Amino acid sequence: MHESLLDRRTLLRGAGVLGAAALAGCDRDDRALSFFFAANPEEADARRRIIAEFSRRHPDIPVRIVLSGPDPVQQMSTFCAGGKCPDVLMAWELTYPALAERGVLLDLNALARDDPTFTTDLHRDSIAALYDTFTFNGGQYALPEQWSGNFLYYNTALFAAAGVPTPPARWEQPWTFAEFLSAAQALTKRSASGAVSQWGFVDTWVPTYSAGLFATNNGAQWCEPRTNPTHLNLDDDAFLAGVQFYADLAATHHVSPTAIDAQSMSTMDLFAAGKAAMALAGHWRYQSFARAQGLDFDVTTLPLGPHGTQACSNIGTTGLAIAADSSRREQAWEFVKFAAGPVGQALIADSGLFVPVLRSALGSAGFAAAHRRITHLPVLTEGPAHSGYLPVTPAWPKIDALLDRSFGPVLRGKRTAMSLKATLPQAIDRILGAA
Amino acid sequence: MSTRASALQRRRAHAGRLFVLPNLAALLVFMAFPLGYSLYLSFTRSDLFRPATFVGTANYRHLLDDPLFGIALRNTVVFTLGSVLPTVVISLGIAGLLNRKLKGIAVFRTIIFVPLAVSAVVMAVVWQFVFNTDNGLLNIMLGWVGLGPVPWLVDPHWAMVSLCLVSVWKGVPFATVVLLAAMGGIDENLYEAARIDGAGELRRFFAITLPLIRGALSFVVIISTISAFQAFDQVYVLTGGNGGPESATYVLGIMLFQHAFGFGEFGYACALAWVMFAILLVLTGLQLRRSRQENS
Repeated sequence: MHESLLDRRTLLRGAGVLGAAALAGCDRDDRALSFFFAANPEEADARRRIIAEFSRRHPDIPVRIVLSGPDPVQQMSTFCAGGKCPDVLMAWELTYPALAERGVLLDLNALARDDPTFTTDLHRDSIAALYDTFTFNGGQYALPEQWSGNFLYYNTALFAAAGVPTPPARWEQPWTFAEFLSAAQALTKRSASGAVSQWGFVDTWVPTYSAGLFATNNGAQWCEPRTNPTHLNLDDDAFLAGVQFYADLAATHHVSPTAIDAQSMSTMDLFAAGKAAMALAGHWRYQSFARAQGLDFDVTTLPLGPHGTQACSNIGTTGLAIAADSSRREQAWEFVKFAAGPVGQALIADSGLFVPVLRSALGSAGFAAAHRRITHLPVLTEGPAHSGYLPVTPAWPKIDALLDRSFGPVLRGKRTAMSLKATLPQAIDRILGAA
Repeated sequence: MSTRASALQRRRAHAGRLFVLPNLAALLVFMAFPLGYSLYLSFTRSDLFRPATFVGTANYRHLLDDPLFGIALRNTVVFTLGSVLPTVVISLGIAGLLNRKLKGIAVFRTIIFVPLAVSAVVMAVVWQFVFNTDNGLLNIMLGWVGLGPVPWLVDPHWAMVSLCLVSVWKGVPFATVVLLAAMGGIDENLYEAARIDGAGELRRFFAITLPLIRGALSFVVIISTISAFQAFDQVYVLTGGNGGPESATYVLGIMLFQHAFGFGEFGYACALAWVMFAILLVLTGLQLRRSRQENS
């Protein structure tokens, strides 16, 4: 009996020692500033480079990486709802308002006010439209870190072979919807059986948003005002005409693959393999295309519709936010300042993996050197300043789901974009009204 | 003697309670508490970040006004019927075929149970390849008999058919196991007597097998209905988190997930979960009642 008691005690002691060791381990880990982000392997390397430089300059602030899974917003919400919110969080322009509204993200204005020199310099160097993307209900919930707006990649060899003129190099000198369609038609090749062997245009982004991008290039806007709108302009004829033009590329003109055509080979792979002449995408595809063997490409602007006055990309931007319940706010602010400020932005520019958001980094020799293989560099450097906005509202996830359902028949060519006018704007208004 | 025996019984009972306690605690923490909490949440407006606000039955009333609830319910009923009926019919047939003393039947039995061992998500990913319009196995096979390619997962009309196909493929092994076990319990003399009376194979199946496995059949129908009604993982992987294309595969499981994790409306999602529970409870009760009436 006595022996068994001793055994039990030994067992309990052992468990105690193990538990204490585990707690000590947790404690050591908890001292680090946790940084949550989503990235493909190359992007993760670029971020590690920024973290390494930050650690070199701030050895007293260790940083622990929390790499996201396939659905970063959901993962972030789960962490934060469970009381384990990472200190620094990557923020997306369309999804951050819901987190800000729920009090997950810290309003950075107070920290910015305490750091007047940095804030003044940042404002001077920032592109207002990008900075304001993260301004919501009077608070500043993130500092922009990279621009991920969309533009067109084009295969220079295919253009030359088809004798199609080189598309524009600047947003200020755009081409028209008609010129774009004509180029796409000239670049679409069919075999004797009628099967397409080369597409004129492929979309590697989200079809609903891409349709909206063609709409904004047709002189329409998603909404007015940008933040907390109560109405989206889906009843605007110019907007719907832009959507229709985009839908017709696949459904009527057959210069772009339908969802069925894209099942066998992703649209990104079609362009990378030289089986598509133009691809709508953001800079996040640049490295994939640059690594594709035998692919000669350059970048160009979106075409301008008959009602448009200014060709534009979209304000796709990600920023860095701080968790409202972070116990390491000051360290987190140092990190955000570093990554979104001139030093981090210069590193981003040199890496060539993102488009930085500060004018100084955009115009830097490092960014130009990282993009030597393209000649139309102004499409990237002037892109952030030529970007139309998407709505900033906490109700976006619901609107997104509704748009996805409603645009389907239009993109399949079963309904016209004009038919959306009947019910969709009212349904969206109801969601925005409830929000 | 009796005092000593009762003391021993008490000690045993006490020890028994102690042994059961950890499991009971786990049941309370991981089953009873979440169930109770989700019922509480269903009467609140909650996003799990801000304090929950009590809204009474507003979430339940909102469900009745939500046009998407009607769509999700209709899709779920179609999916349930489209998967449970074929599952039961096919598994009855397969169980009937496997319930024979033939050489090599054990190999066939093993093969037919393989889908049971495959994870639902892995299975859905494999089916995505099978359903590919241009290069998918299914359309290649249809091409052999001169049928044109079917846009299985892309066309709203075919997407639900695709889901039902996968669900049947996944559900048949389990149903077959249960029905086969029930068939194995039927007295061989009954078949022998029927054979002597001149009953053919089909007649024996409908007159002897089917009535005698009614209990197992009822169990299979209930379990398959519950499983189909709660479908989520295979829909999520095959046609996406929005239940597309358009709203063709927008079932209750997807609606629940979308409201909870996409929109942060946990109160509303919990109300939906309890409505699903109530519907299943009624369906199961009706089925059990019918079975009892038939047995009596």
